[in-house]
Amino acid sequence: MAEFEPKILAFCCNWCSYAGADLAGVSRFQYPPNIRIIRVMCSGRVEPEFVVKALSLGADGVLVLGCHIGDCHYIYGNHRTKKRMAILEKILGYLGIDPARVRLEWISAAEGRRFADLVTEFTEEMRKLGPNPLKKEVIA
Amino acid sequence: MINKVRDLAKKWLKGKEVDAVFGLKEQGGYIAPYLFTDANELDNLTLSTDYRLCYTCRPSKENILSLMQRGEPNIKIGIIARGCEERALIELAKRGQIDLNRVKIMGIACTEQEARECKCEKPYPSSLVFGERVEGTAKDDNVNALLNKSLSERLAFWRYELSKCIKCYGCRNVCPMCFCKDCKMEQEIYAKTGWLPPEVPMFLFIRFYHLSDRCIGCGECEKACPVDIPLLTIFKLLRKDVKDLFDYEAGMDVEQEAPLLTTLDETPMREEVTSGV
Repeated sequence: MAEFEPKILAFCCNWCSYAGADLAGVSRFQYPPNIRIIRVMCSGRVEPEFVVKALSLGADGVLVLGCHIGDCHYIYGNHRTKKRMAILEKILGYLGIDPARVRLEWISAAEGRRFADLVTEFTEEMRKLGPNPLKKEVIA
Repeated sequence: MINKVRDLAKKWLKGKEVDAVFGLKEQGGYIAPYLFTDANELDNLTLSTDYRLCYTCRPSKENILSLMQRGEPNIKIGIIARGCEERALIELAKRGQIDLNRVKIMGIACTEQEARECKCEKPYPSSLVFGERVEGTAKDDNVNALLNKSLSERLAFWRYELSKCIKCYGCRNVCPMCFCKDCKMEQEIYAKTGWLPPEVPMFLFIRFYHLSDRCIGCGECEKACPVDIPLLTIFKLLRKDVKDLFDYEAGMDVEQEAPLLTTLDETPMREEVTSGV
């Protein structure tokens, strides 16, 4: 059997992280192709339900990427995200899903290198964690 | 205790301290919430842990007190509240659902046995009028059992428990804090019509998350569940987590903003309240 390739979903905010991902591409930094990016206007738009939905539809890991605290285009959008994700991690832990599968990181528009490094590192981590146990539960 | 409660309620009504008393009425062997406006009727006032006064009316999805206050903007309502009901009132007032100035709370404490049955952590209101203050049960066997499980055991446990769900929406309907007009648990993407069991763990996760900073720990959801899903287990853990993370406890302080509605340095970022009192 072929080696397990994790599927990773990333929610990138329009103003910083998506631009950071774009910079990584423009600068030709190499990173694994396991990542699929969904652009959202703000990381505050990412409801924890989105993350759970992604996990239950078979994503092995979910990245939520936003602007650094203080840099949010909508002033306090990422404050919300940070608080939500803290609670989300707790609930996932209680439900038996490894909270390491979900990660919140801040990527600015200038941090193309960091984006590439993060995706590389996260992909490796998910590869070690193995397939998402919720995958079997897929209900279309 | 019931006689004392009746006497004080009569005194309130006769002395025009309140215009109506909201409590439980016994009639023909049945108990139901009732708004007493006549002091003579108060002989039928009764106490029971089976019914909560702070419930949300369906299908209008509004709290009963919120409806009353909206309908009669000038009346003051006396309410006979246990610990959980008082917490619900505080939390509802904080979220713009009711006006606490137009509510007079008669706080009654639960007995030790009642507290044990509800697995209540704080079975007395902060403004206690009648009854003995007994300490709540800090320990919950379900919580400890869950914490002792490994991640995969937890998943197996919840996969079994949550797949029992028959999507009756009972947990949401009894919840005093579930007052959203648009409920996510009714959206097609999260709860497919005609599909049982609902997606695990998506469906009940919605409640776990949405009530994480609101849950007052009354345990009504678990009692209402026809298939005995131990919902309170997660809510209890979350109440503790929210306290650890944000130093916030739902239903304790009407001044303290809920953590999910504030910035990281706790400045409120209130959304416009379009409905409410």
